[in-house]
Amino acid sequence: MNAIWAIASSTVGEAIRRKVLLVILLIALLLLSIIPALGVLSARSEMSAMISTIFFVIRFTSALIAIILTIYMIPNEIERRTIYTILCKPVQRWQFLLGKYFGAVLALALMMGIMTALSLVMFWFLKHPDASKMAEVAKQPILYLVEMSLLAAIAIFFSTFVAPLVNFFISTGLWLVGTVLNPLYDSFATNPQTAPIMKTMAKLITSILPNFANYDVKNPILHPGVVIQNEASYYLKTVGYGFMYIAILLILGIVVFDRREV
Amino acid sequence: MAAAIETKKLTKTYRSRQLGKINVVNELDLHVEEGEIFGFLGPNGAGKTTTIKMLLGIIYPTHGEGYVLGREIGDMDVHRVISYLPERPYYYEHMTGFELLKFYDSLFGNHDPDKCQRLLERVNLAGDASKTINQYSKGMQQRVGLAQSLLNDPKLLFLDEPTGGLDPIAHREIRDLILSFRDEGRTVFISSHELSEVELICDRVAIIHKGEIARQGRLTELLKGGRIEITLQGIDEGLARKLATGGTLHNLSDGYMLDMPEEEDVNAVVDTVRSAKGSIVSMVPRKKRLEDLFVETVRAATPGAAPKLAAEGGV
Ligand SMILES: Nc1ncnc2c1ncn2[C@@H]1O[C@H](COP(=O)(O)OP(=O)(O)O)[C@@H](O)[C@H]1O
Ligand SMILES: [Mg+2]
Repeated sequence: MNAIWAIASSTVGEAIRRKVLLVILLIALLLLSIIPALGVLSARSEMSAMISTIFFVIRFTSALIAIILTIYMIPNEIERRTIYTILCKPVQRWQFLLGKYFGAVLALALMMGIMTALSLVMFWFLKHPDASKMAEVAKQPILYLVEMSLLAAIAIFFSTFVAPLVNFFISTGLWLVGTVLNPLYDSFATNPQTAPIMKTMAKLITSILPNFANYDVKNPILHPGVVIQNEASYYLKTVGYGFMYIAILLILGIVVFDRREV
Repeated sequence: MAAAIETKKLTKTYRSRQLGKINVVNELDLHVEEGEIFGFLGPNGAGKTTTIKMLLGIIYPTHGEGYVLGREIGDMDVHRVISYLPERPYYYEHMTGFELLKFYDSLFGNHDPDKCQRLLERVNLAGDASKTINQYSKGMQQRVGLAQSLLNDPKLLFLDEPTGGLDPIAHREIRDLILSFRDEGRTVFISSHELSEVELICDRVAIIHKGEIARQGRLTELLKGGRIEITLQGIDEGLARKLATGGTLHNLSDGYMLDMPEEEDVNAVVDTVRSAKGSIVSMVPRKKRLEDLFVETVRAATPGAAPKLAAEGGV
């Protein structure tokens, strides 16, 4: 446990010094502080549009950070041979991988926390929203964090056996597909011309692929007219799904990494 | 004495597109005793790093056996009592020297800042403890590497090319540290192609070439067979020829030069020359150098390839 924690915190230390990530974060923070200011001019009904924009910026930036942060993590360790100085200590490979993963999640949480905090402050001062609106803005990023942890788990899994650039396309691709998975499936399955066998296939594929859409609760494009009856159970379900998927990916990643020659 | 490292037919095969299967390490039989400094020598690409990684359980042998401190390789428990300094290592640059040591210490489940401080003092980095690694020179990085390799008070240290790419002063510092490890009773396994370095500190060496051990033994034994050059004047040619039976004779403008193996009876030559009223101008021992042995060994293994390898072996 000690070793995992030590590796995780060294990973955070490295992550928050990566210039690419800082630049991305800075651009996002700039956008997030401009959006509410633009909204000042428009009517009060624009508030929900503004919230969507804030969410979009946070989500997109976090995904970019999650991918860029994780695809290089293991390959860099091998290339710079820092991994040897760690694996020759009483550290098992699974501990190393988990440490790296938790470090990535912590760094993500930190950066997402900063974005959310800034959004809340700007929102509060410029729009004077009521408490329920504030809660809405504060809650969504929690689901995003679970979503990004899942994305990071995908990227770290692939990083145990593919090169960073390939991994970038795989992870980004899976995230994009996973984001539109629900509407994609719906349009396919509700089409009367689809053969039953194709429907079963579609069902199978959609349940295997990681589903990212469910983490974007308030997105009217992904969830048109959806009213969540029991919010607590919805959150619990999506978070539980995420954690299970993450656990499976990490176990597979460990299996691959254990056999790998570094 | 017990063996610190023992391998039996340890082999690592890689596949490459052009060459097919190649045995990068081929049926290696190594024997390293406890408490010695062992030099693992070979030209670049000989298979030194691959062997060390197998011994550490970082990569897996294709076949063969290996034991480190009596435990089969791959046994992670042994990592508590050994340490490793990779070749051209790279450390987390954002950490300070002190943080780096604390980080590696925590990988053992320890938290002992005093010990970290003491180790930094030992490698002469106490004054630079709060500088980050990217402000360290190469020599300083190598010293902080040695400091971290001492965190667990190891019985056995693997040092892969520890002086590679360092200036002479840094060489000297590293060498003195390694010697102090032996004084503390630790076993040190050094891979290197810098022969003059190894010659100064190693007790025993193995020469590896193309994945195979070409020579292995005590340095003093391997370096037996030096020569002595004796320059003589004032004796006639007949006597000179008689003296030269064990060696070779060269004619000089004003005398002779006798080149003979050092184990020949030099005193007898001196006596004979003196009693014939001749004079001995000089006697120069030509010690066999590790470099000679190395070139000789590599040349024997690959006819024709020697000049290049000799250049790599030189310092
Ligand atoms: N992962 C690998 N795949 C294929 N060949 C390798 C691999 N690692 C090392 N080699 C080859 O093995 C040989 C020995 O390498 P190495 O052990 O690093 O040599 P040394 O440390 O003695 O310079 C080299 O020819 C190198 O190219
Ligand atoms: Mg090497």
